[in-house]
Amino acid sequence: MYEVLLFDGGVYKINELYELIEDVGGFVIQKTQVQVQISVTLAIPEEERSAIEEKTKELGGKLIEVPLAGTEIAVVAPTLGRHHMPHPTCDIAEQLRRSGAITVVMGLARGKGRRTAQITADEKAIIEEYDAAVFVLGNFKDCIVEHKVRLFEDLEVPVVAVCGPDIASLPSCEGLVCGVGRKVERMRREEEIHKLDEVAESVEGAIRSKRTELDEDPLFVHPAEVKDRIAELEAVQRSLRPAPIVLHLDGLRVKIPYAEWKDQIAAVEVYGRRLGDIADISDSRLGGSTLIKIKTRAEVESG
Amino acid sequence: MSEHDESFAMENFDTILRQVMSELGVSRMVDDYRIKADPDAPYFIISLRLGNGPVSAIKVSDMALVDDSSGGGKITITDEAWAPALLTKLWQIYGRDGVEQLTRFELVVRGTKAEDLSDLELDPGEEIRSKVLDAVWRIFPEGFKVRHNIVDDKVMTIIGTEHDMEDEWIKVADDLHKKMRGA
Repeated sequence: MYEVLLFDGGVYKINELYELIEDVGGFVIQKTQVQVQISVTLAIPEEERSAIEEKTKELGGKLIEVPLAGTEIAVVAPTLGRHHMPHPTCDIAEQLRRSGAITVVMGLARGKGRRTAQITADEKAIIEEYDAAVFVLGNFKDCIVEHKVRLFEDLEVPVVAVCGPDIASLPSCEGLVCGVGRKVERMRREEEIHKLDEVAESVEGAIRSKRTELDEDPLFVHPAEVKDRIAELEAVQRSLRPAPIVLHLDGLRVKIPYAEWKDQIAAVEVYGRRLGDIADISDSRLGGSTLIKIKTRAEVESG
Repeated sequence: MSEHDESFAMENFDTILRQVMSELGVSRMVDDYRIKADPDAPYFIISLRLGNGPVSAIKVSDMALVDDSSGGGKITITDEAWAPALLTKLWQIYGRDGVEQLTRFELVVRGTKAEDLSDLELDPGEEIRSKVLDAVWRIFPEGFKVRHNIVDDKVMTIIGTEHDMEDEWIKVADDLHKKMRGA
């Protein structure tokens, strides 16, 4: 299985690290360079970690665990009004980014109120595109237990609910973190920082079980391997979006228009096969993006 | 009443109210406040008793020098804190075209005399009330759009709900309002 890590160090001799990653059969997922400092998110086979650790030490950098790297997570608030934004929704999204996830903050169109809170089929479909969703709910126990649970009851992706009052359990969610509630200030007190850690741990737990589930029926190729091939497409290289390719647990999101590029994407060759044969390629609900869901080994071999 | 324990919500709303009021700089203008909510009904009530801040009206001559000039009455502001409120008041009375801003502190109001302008009064209470109301809207649950206000010179009570407002809830708000007034 691949392990995703973050190298944090300088650019001096960084090519040696890239070569080593390639030699051990790993991939570079993302590079962020600020002057002479560089952060590299990398995926390597688990058993090769010691070699990377040694090289990191030699280069004077450090290796950080990023348990959520290679995932894209939606942080959903009932609305984007000042009652829910920017705190604590953005604080939670930031915490997940620190754990390596790519996050999207989303507000529902008609999520406000108690009995009137709704989620549309379109919004559900958008949330389903992500690896997990975090629902940031409010203060009233009655409102959450009796009404807000309906917002995520039909979702198939793992859901972590974050709310204020102490609730023993909620249906339809993989994780529940209580004690946050509405905030009008940044979450910077010690107990609030612990709460943010708790949210990240809960999301990690949900992602871990999804990964285990995927390992039972493994994918034909790891999404990071597909990423390397797709990155060679001209449209991706020209894309000015900050992360033109985003990894998911079971595929990837490529931020180029589906209608225009679907054939070129399907024709990309991965281990002697067309990507179109080993993955389902579809249009994303988010404008100008294409979703790739990699088929499992069993599916490809039987097909 | 709701069968659930809502102590977290009440404590949290208390914190939110204090933080929002301090952010808007109106903490000292509010003497006392009460928040009452029944999420099962549902209704949400905020009642605030305004303090004895600078509620008496202030004259233009107390914060500016007023002279006659060829174009009309000329005002030279000496206390800048009042400038926005003064300009708004002048615009309301004489219209935007009637007020000419020469510099940051100098205004000429066309077709008026210095004595008319000197007697003009500004009501600071109005500004305080609008700031306090802003704090209330920031705190109020977003979906509770059906509202009823009970306001007098000392206490401001606002009740909100999601669908139809019921008389018995208004009575609860009214009782709270009276209690705040009498306290």
